[in-house]
Amino acid sequence: MPDVTKTDVSRLGLGAQISVLFAIGGLLVSILLGGATLLLTRGQLLDTRGSAAAAMAVSNATRLSNQLTPESSIEDLPTVVDSLTRIEGSQRIIRVGDDWLVAPELDRADLPAPLVERLGDRRPGQMLATVRGQPRFVVGIPLTAFDADYYTISDLSDVEQTLDDLRYVLLGTGAIAVTLAALLGSWASRRMLRPLRRVREAAEAIAGGRLDTRLGVQADPDLDRLSDSFNEMARALESRIQRDARFASDVSHELRSPLTTLMAGVGVLESRKEELSPRSMIALDLLVADLERFNRLVNDLLEISGFDAGVAAVDLTEVDIARFLEVTATNADVVDLRMPDDARGVLLQADKRRLARVMSNLLDNAGRYGGGASAIILEMDNTLRIIVEDDGAGIPAAERSAVFERFFRGSAGGRRTGDGGTGLGLNLVVEDLRLHGGRVWVEDRPDGRPGARFVLELPLPEVDA
Amino acid sequence: MKPVPSTRKTETPSMGQHSPMSRRILTVEDDERIRTAVRLALEEEGWEVEEAASGEEALEAFSRMPSDVVLIDIMLPGMDGFEVCRSIRRLGDVPIIMVTARSDSHDVVAGLEAGADDYLRKPFDPKELSARIRALLRRIRPDESRPIHIQIDGLEVLPDAGVVRYAGEEVHLTRTEFRLLVDLAIHPDRVISREDLLERVWGYDYFGDARLVDVHVRRLRMKIEPDAANPRFVVTVRGMGYKFQT
Repeated sequence: MPDVTKTDVSRLGLGAQISVLFAIGGLLVSILLGGATLLLTRGQLLDTRGSAAAAMAVSNATRLSNQLTPESSIEDLPTVVDSLTRIEGSQRIIRVGDDWLVAPELDRADLPAPLVERLGDRRPGQMLATVRGQPRFVVGIPLTAFDADYYTISDLSDVEQTLDDLRYVLLGTGAIAVTLAALLGSWASRRMLRPLRRVREAAEAIAGGRLDTRLGVQADPDLDRLSDSFNEMARALESRIQRDARFASDVSHELRSPLTTLMAGVGVLESRKEELSPRSMIALDLLVADLERFNRLVNDLLEISGFDAGVAAVDLTEVDIARFLEVTATNADVVDLRMPDDARGVLLQADKRRLARVMSNLLDNAGRYGGGASAIILEMDNTLRIIVEDDGAGIPAAERSAVFERFFRGSAGGRRTGDGGTGLGLNLVVEDLRLHGGRVWVEDRPDGRPGARFVLELPLPEVDA
Repeated sequence: MKPVPSTRKTETPSMGQHSPMSRRILTVEDDERIRTAVRLALEEEGWEVEEAASGEEALEAFSRMPSDVVLIDIMLPGMDGFEVCRSIRRLGDVPIIMVTARSDSHDVVAGLEAGADDYLRKPFDPKELSARIRALLRRIRPDESRPIHIQIDGLEVLPDAGVVRYAGEEVHLTRTEFRLLVDLAIHPDRVISREDLLERVWGYDYFGDARLVDVHVRRLRMKIEPDAANPRFVVTVRGMGYKFQT
């Protein structure tokens, strides 16, 4: 069957893909907004600090130039400088002639060269610079009347601190935004996929045998078309299955009627066997044996077609499993029946006719290829297992799943001919068990002796004591 | 492999061809070849056979001379097997066996609801058919026919006389319904499993179809219970079977 889905596009489900896309979108928006906020805030803060520092520097420089006289030397400066307005975190460097008055923690080499150069041309300037590993705002003002410059270096680490805090806040809100976006994405995808889920549920219902399942009218026109096509498909499927089932039923009738005549006619001949010649007697024996086999084949084929058309139904009744196995073992002359003590009285919800056929097919199979069943064993824990063992040659590991196929011929090629089997028995076992929610497999005998061991596993009903 | 669903319970030895108690069987079957072959096979088992090719013919033959057992094919042209079954049931309590060629269980239940006592699937072994007829004609076993007289809450069962009365009025039961009731009533307040009833009344083994019992219990309740939905006499014991409640 052609597979129309592409599995290599993405291993993620549609819902997960949408969630991831939403999360990526959230992340991008967060980065963009956060980056812009950070940049703008930083510019704003530095501008404010810069103009404040510049204004202060201008005022201090003016006051300095007012208090200086042409005779002033560097020795006079400290007293003048002390009278100037100070800003927290701001330090100064003053040049008078070739002398420098430098704040204690600083050195004149800390001044950025471009600014010093600019002041060399007797022009004021300001700039951001990294001084001793810290971001600083440096303002330089030449004192025009003298051969002197006034510099202030303002510490900006508090601005950086603020920006750092802001970064954390932005990172946090970004993470929250991404999470919310992912959640929104998953909610949106679930909402979007809800109609698809309904389609899936309807498809599963049909697969499970409720053939009359249909989808309702959808609000969205695209989905409505999908729903229409789906319903059309379901209708076609239903009518086809019903046609198949009707055909199987008709075939059943058409085949069984002549078989009835044959069986009744052969029955008459059999009861008058002594009137027949030896040759006719042999012919009658052949007829009887193959009529029996033909009858079984027709029945098995009709059962199989019932399974294939999906019309096989179970008539569930309560089956006392211990008694069922006792009767089965007695009828099949199997002496070795083992079951746990607590098996007595366990009631299984099962189709007794089908369960009886399963056992009959397994015992029949053991009789045909394994020299007869040697033991029937019942085991119970979480599940219920019925085991049929024989003392035959066993089944090679390579054929252990193939034996359940229809018309399987084992390695002992062509052994089907003349063995009287229909070649469908074990396949019916599989189908009957599937109908009960169980399964069947074949394995080695645990005691190491040769022989096949067929294990039937059935779900055990909840015990309501 | 044994034929599924049911295996015959071997009991009474086969009736000889010259059995003194030769009983008449009316077979209703439209397919001439089947009809003839089944007649030959049943005659071989010692029964006297009358044939009918349609429902109308069968009703005419039966009203002319009632047979001991009726064998009806469900798929008949014109009046179908269910209708024939209902009509004959109105004429008497003769045992009726339905024959179906279909594998679905719908026909079986519908046939039993229409009044059939038992059913067979085509193709059937004529010996199996013979055994079924014998089981339906079987008399109540001697050990069960000890003189007992059950009388509770207006219900009277007289196994020996073959009479059941409710509120003083005689209730008409088929042979099978009567045997089912007696089988339950002679063991008052004891639960009898479907399988045991199937064996005692119909002669089936453990693998017989328990729906026979269920449908007959339902029919019985319609006739003897004051309220069939809440039975007073024949009660269901879930997972175990039925019991006659005193």
